[in-house]
Order: sequence, then structure tokens, then C-alpha cells
Amino acid sequence: MQRDKFFKEVENVRHPNETLVKTHCSYCGMQCGMNLRVNTKTNKIIGVEPRYDWPVTLGKMCPKGVTAYQQTNHDDRLLKPLIRDDASLKGTKDGFREATWDEAYDLIVKKFQELQHDYGKDSLSVYSGVSMTNEKCYLTGKFARVGLQTRYIDYNGRFCMASAAGGFMRSFGVDRGSTLPWTDLHETDCLFIAGSNTADCHPTSMFRVWAVQERGGYLIVADPRETPIARRADVHLDLRPGTDLALANGILNLLIQNGYADEEFVNNHTNGFEETKELVKEFTPEYTSELTGVAPEKIIKAAEIYGKAPNAIVMFARGIEQQVKGVDNVSGYTNMALVTGKIGRPKAGVATFTGQGNGQGGREHGQKADALPGYRKIANPDHVKAVAKVWGIEPEEMPKEGVSAYEMFGLMEQKTIRGLYLLCSNPAVSAPNLNYVREQLKNLDFMVCADFYLSESAEYADVILPTTTWSEDEGTVTNLEGRCIKINKAQEPLGESKPDWQIQVELCERLGRGKYFSHLNTASDVGDEFRLASKGGYADYYGITWDKIEKQDGVFWPCKDEDDKGTPHMFLDKKFYHPDGKAKICALPYRPPAEEPNEDFPLRLTTGRVVYHYLSGNQTRRINFLRDMCPEPFVEVHPETAALYNIEHEEFVRLYTRRGEAEYKVKITEAIRKDTVFVPYHWGHDKSINLLTIPALDPMSRMPEFKACAAQIEKLELKKVQ
Amino acid sequence: MKKRLYLELENCIGCRSCLAACTQCGGHEERNRNYVYDVNPLVNRQTMPLMCLHCVNPACARSCPAQAIQIHETGAVLSALVEKCIGCQNCTIACPYGIPKFDTEQNLMYKCDLCIDRTKDGIPPMCASVCPSNTIQWLTEEEIDAKQSQFNLDNDKWVTSMPLEGETNVRVNLPGILQGVTKLF
Repeated sequence: MQRDKFFKEVENVRHPNETLVKTHCSYCGMQCGMNLRVNTKTNKIIGVEPRYDWPVTLGKMCPKGVTAYQQTNHDDRLLKPLIRDDASLKGTKDGFREATWDEAYDLIVKKFQELQHDYGKDSLSVYSGVSMTNEKCYLTGKFARVGLQTRYIDYNGRFCMASAAGGFMRSFGVDRGSTLPWTDLHETDCLFIAGSNTADCHPTSMFRVWAVQERGGYLIVADPRETPIARRADVHLDLRPGTDLALANGILNLLIQNGYADEEFVNNHTNGFEETKELVKEFTPEYTSELTGVAPEKIIKAAEIYGKAPNAIVMFARGIEQQVKGVDNVSGYTNMALVTGKIGRPKAGVATFTGQGNGQGGREHGQKADALPGYRKIANPDHVKAVAKVWGIEPEEMPKEGVSAYEMFGLMEQKTIRGLYLLCSNPAVSAPNLNYVREQLKNLDFMVCADFYLSESAEYADVILPTTTWSEDEGTVTNLEGRCIKINKAQEPLGESKPDWQIQVELCERLGRGKYFSHLNTASDVGDEFRLASKGGYADYYGITWDKIEKQDGVFWPCKDEDDKGTPHMFLDKKFYHPDGKAKICALPYRPPAEEPNEDFPLRLTTGRVVYHYLSGNQTRRINFLRDMCPEPFVEVHPETAALYNIEHEEFVRLYTRRGEAEYKVKITEAIRKDTVFVPYHWGHDKSINLLTIPALDPMSRMPEFKACAAQIEKLELKKVQ
Repeated sequence: MKKRLYLELENCIGCRSCLAACTQCGGHEERNRNYVYDVNPLVNRQTMPLMCLHCVNPACARSCPAQAIQIHETGAVLSALVEKCIGCQNCTIACPYGIPKFDTEQNLMYKCDLCIDRTKDGIPPMCASVCPSNTIQWLTEEEIDAKQSQFNLDNDKWVTSMPLEGETNVRVNLPGILQGVTKLF
């Protein structure tokens, strides 16, 4: 593209007494390229310059990216370990005193050893996240299983990517979030985007989305809300929250009935077609419309466009994944690509928008309760053997499978889990059913939190360990394309903060497990071991060296050895990762959401993001620009629904479900369905919408149903806006 | 090669990256000098950026009694010169687009200067650099001509600022730009 070429040729502005450090944004899975401006005299990050040479984003950044550099030298940074002596103050910001690292480590080791002595190895747990480098994600898995010797480790990807992972695993036998590089978006003929508010959640994809339309291609969007991307779609499938599977089945039925199935592809490269064809027969446009609330003619038009398109990409995000049938939704939409053979070649395929920075890499290297590095499974003895060898332990020493993130709180209630090491996550805001979750955090015997700000979850900790931000350490992350990229260090850690991997190594040494960790002195050491541990797995990173990343603008996995350039396009040989090499077309019976509206709770509550904030908001709510742009949550209500309840714009209302309640300012907009209300989830304490959300879990991915539950709204007579 | 700012309004997704980026430009003192408006917030999510159009014969400069508003050789209409601005605020009233803002503490007008320290060297302004939706673009005359012929709406609405304030250095498309697109299939 001419424009791409132009941007690659643009030189960066160079200010006197400054260096530019090439790196990537700290936030979502786009991992936009950026240059951090570093003052050469103070060695501090002082600003940002676009990175025009980065092929995925060409210098483009969202407001979070532009201001991301401000988090490192922010006044709120935790600079020393904190210890709380009075447990009665748990759940508040109060009662912490500064301590030395030695004092903090000694206390942690003493408490961890006491708990494990009294209640067994599995009384400890690790709860992590995927906004960290691959190296840190990998080491966290080893830290739990070799360092702490506990089976209980899981991560916040359960609230983010688990359903996409489960769906891809079932359909393809492998989970790489995108079967093609993002640059293919520019060249395709049709984008079918389901459950993604791309403009707010992955804004730097938008120039490619608009480019498809500008070239005469089509855009189909399935979303209960008329988001900016839905506003300009050729077809907007405005479905009720939680009914995606019916829509996917309905479209699949039309694709088959109208002759858009690619028989040769289906016969040679897939299983399950006949069974699925039978199952989706009942999903006529009329029946699908009845279930989803989308007009039949829109469903027909969408199927026709997707069917006719020479090349098309099906894309989706949390809208379809954060449901009690998230895995089925993913496989349901993936069926469209498999039945029509629009996969396994450039410009056509399936992709999911990754929510967290390393949502892809972080789920591949052993932070999941059932997984080991390289996407291996604890349930598979051969996999355990391979990883045990790298770790230097006997296979029998490998702890068994644990439980998923939300289920860990159940074990805390039962006192099976008594200690918690929390890092890179803020479940006191991001988990569903928060009243319950917060109670379990409070009742823990001992909790450690590693973070660089005092998060809402850190308020429940006994010890807080100050960690580095993304720009104070180096390592790799894997973006939403499956492209492994390099994060570079721009300044020395502030105060006494340390990178997570270093903290884990030092703790393990003090726990008497040093022989498994002491050789890891740099991020690069951890990276080398991680590459080795992934070797031979599905997600094989062995051939991905930092040098190669620099030379090739990132390397797509799998990349098996030093001569392998990586795999930008998956399945070009039409070989899928199931044992027979075929993909699975899944017959998926429709199930309604876990909780349907009734007389007492007549509305559907759905949640999501705004462009100014990232996840639980612990980072972005502290950045002045972002806070000013969106200082508080709101509830979106359709004007006709608002009239029913006699509610006015910007008035405060009480929103409640069977699990909790909260008060929000009303935002009246026609861009939402009349039967649905929407609240963004980036705020803590009494503003958390997750006080209301339902902890119903997908049976395969254990993903909670954040996207649909029954709710009621109530006017607050005396609480008008001041 | 001379390049111009070009705005494709309908592309706007309301992310306000342009505002955030504006605060990061050298000399902007962390204050944004462009704006984003919700077109009809109670109805849909259409937004549009509003930035200085860098008029060829700008009303702000014409109305300035102190000649504090200079026009750069590239056509960029610059922010008020500190040593000349008398704080009368004529420019803020004269501008038909509401661009110049007034800093009461410094008794000084400030406005978009098209990131002159970047654009004079051929580097795109910060807003166009970061704009993730291609609403704000930095294009050559040829590219703008190509846009105009590609989206040949066969009307005279290409330069919207014409009836208001004469010729501008910024090109703006009117809503409905995709009407001219021929579908691929």
C-alpha cells in the first residue's frame, strides 16, 4: 500500500539530549509499536514518539498508548515493600508500613512454610495475569509448581481469552488467536466481526477495517450495541446479548442451504459436517430471529455477503467469548470459515481480538491450571515428562491440575486454599460476583500482592511487593496475531522495585528451591529456558531469538529452529493440528444465557470497555488525560426504556441483579437495544459493575458470563446530579 | 513534497487519540489544541474532530490588532507570538471554527500550529501520526486528488470550509463519502 510505504519512510523527530527506545504499548493485544523518549541526562522516560516503521500499526496509537509512558514515573508508584501488621484493616488502603526486601521475604517465607507445614503444599495458590512478558508468564508457572510446589495456579486470562483458546483448540487442534497477520485485513473482501467493540477496545485496527470498506469490501458486525464499528457496517446484526450461537447456527444454515459450502475443502480437510448440517437445519432465518431478536432479512443478507465474498475474515472478541457458552460461540463462528473453506490461505481466516497485552503468549506457557509451557497439558504424561526434564524435577513431582481462576475463590471459602501470591491482576475489580470474591480475599490466612500501584486487590494483602513497569524490564510478548515481539528496557527500575521474575527467583532461593532457579540472573536467561521449555510443544518458540525478532519485525509461532522464519499464516498446507490433520466442524445445540430476564429482573445487563481505560483501570485511572476523558462509569439506557422508568439523561440510578447493586449515572442513547443496559467495568470499590455480574462458568473454558445477566434499574428520586 | 492535513470525518471513532497526541507535541505544554465533538450523543456514537483548518486568509490573523498570529511559509497558521499577543481575544471571536483558546493565566492565545516543528521537516503532525481510524491523514496533493476522484460524489461539497472562510490548507470531506464506492462483489 502506498500509504504504508509512506509511513515506513517517515523519520522520527529527534530531540536534543534524548534517545528513542523502540518498544510496544503496555496495554492491549495490539501491542502498538512506539518509541519511548528517554532523557539521556536523567535516564528517565519523558514522552512518546510514534513508531512509523512498525508494520502492524504504522505509528498509530490510541489515547492509552499515547499516555502509557506516564505510568512509569507516576507519583503513585510503589517504591518499597509494604507490610501490614493489623489484619483487621484488610480490604482498606490503611495499615501498611514500609519494609525492607529482606523483611518482606522473611515474612513471606515464614508464612508460606507454616501454611504448607500445617495444611499441605496445595494450601498456597498463585493468581497471575497476562499483561506480562512471555518470560514472566513462563516463570510464574514454574514458580508455582517447582518453587511453591502447589497445584493451584491460574490466571486472569480465564476472564479474557479462555473461551477463544478452547474454541480454537476444539476446531483446529491448536490455539493461535489469529490464523493470519493483521496486515491481511487491508486486503480482504469481507470482515465479519462478532462481539467486538473494535473502536474502543482495539482502535488501531480501525484504519484497516475502514480500508476494507473504502476498497468496496463489506463489513458485517454482530453486536447488541451500535458501536462506532457497527454504525458504519453494511449489516449490523443487533442481537440480544447471549444469543450468538443461535445467530452463528442460523448463518451457517443459510451458507449450506444456499450453496456456499466448499465441498472439496469440507470433504478433504474437516470432520463433522453432516452432523452439523443436520443440527443447524432448524435455525431458519425466522427461528434464528425469534431467538436473537435480529430481523430475518439482516441474517439473510449477512450470510449472502459472507458466502459470496472471495476472501473473508471472521473475527470476534469478548462479546461472544465471555458467555456461559463462549467456547461454543467461538466454534460456531469458526464453523462459517470451515464450511466455506475460507481459511488456510492469505486474506481469509479467523481471528480473535486479544484483550490483554500478552493474552496470546501468556496462555501458552503454563499459567493455566491445566497447562504446561508450549501449550502442553498436565493430563498428558509425555508432556509432563518433557517439561519436568527442562525443570530438572522428576515427572512424579509435577503437581496435578488445579482449578480455574474463579473456582479458586471457592477453594478459599472452603479453606483448601489459605495463602495467595497475586501478581499482574486485580480480581477485586475484574472477577464476577465481587461481593463474594472480596469476602474470600479478606478471609485468606496470608496474601502477597506484587504490583507497581496499590490496586484494589492489594488492599487485601498482608505484604505488597513493588514491581517494575513494562518499560523497566525487557522480554518478549506475543501480540494478537501470534507475532512474538520484543519489549525493550527504557529506564532503570524506580525506587526499590524489581521485575516479577527476579522476585520469584529470590523467593525460591529463600524457600530452599534455589537449585531450580538460581541460574536465572537476567530476563534473557529466563527467555532461553522458556524457549527450551516450549520446544516440541504446539506453541513452539524455540527458534524465536531476540535477534530474529529485531530483523523480521517480530516472529510468528510456531518457529521450531534457528532457520525457521516463523509462521505468519496458519494452515497454508490445509493441515490442522488434530491427529488426523483435519479441522472439526462442530454441531452445537443452542443454549440460552445462564440467567434470563423475568418480571423482577426484566433487563439484560452487558459489560465492556471504554477506549480510555484498560482492564480494571488500576493503571489508566491514574493517568490524568484518561481520567479526565472518562472519570466514572455510566449505564447506557435506550430512550424508550428510560421513559418507562421515568429516568433522565445524567441522572443517577440504582442498578441491581440477584448478586449485588451499584449506582450509576445514566447515559441515554439509541445505540443500545431497548431490552439491554451496558456498563463499562474499569472501576473499583462501589462502582464495580462486577458486583452485579453472574459467576456462571463455561463448562470447558471456565469463563464467567460477563456479557449477559438479568438486571433491574431503579430511579433514585433524591440523587439528582449535583 | 508538500503535504496537507486531510480529514475524513465519518471515520472518526471518538477515541480522542488526537487530543492526547496533541498534548505530547513539543511546545504544546501538554494542552491539546484540537477537539472532538459528539455529533448527536443521545442518538448514536458519531463523533468528529475539530481542528484548525489553517485558512489561507485566516480570520484570526486578520482580526489580530497586534500582528501576533504569523502564517508560516508552509501555510500553517501559528499560535500567537508570546511577545506580541495582547490578550484581546479578538481571534477567538473571529475564528468561525472556535479554534483559538485563551489562557487567562498567561494572558495569551494558543491554537493548533500544525505541529510546525514536525511538519516543516516533512514529519506528520502528532494528531495525524497517531489517529488510529485514519480520520486525520497527512497526504500529498496527488493523494488528495486521488481521493477526490475515487470518491467522485459529483457535487461541489469537497471543501466544506469554502462558504465560511474561503480557501483552507486543510481538506475535509463531507459525510457520505462511501456513497461513491463501487462494491467489490
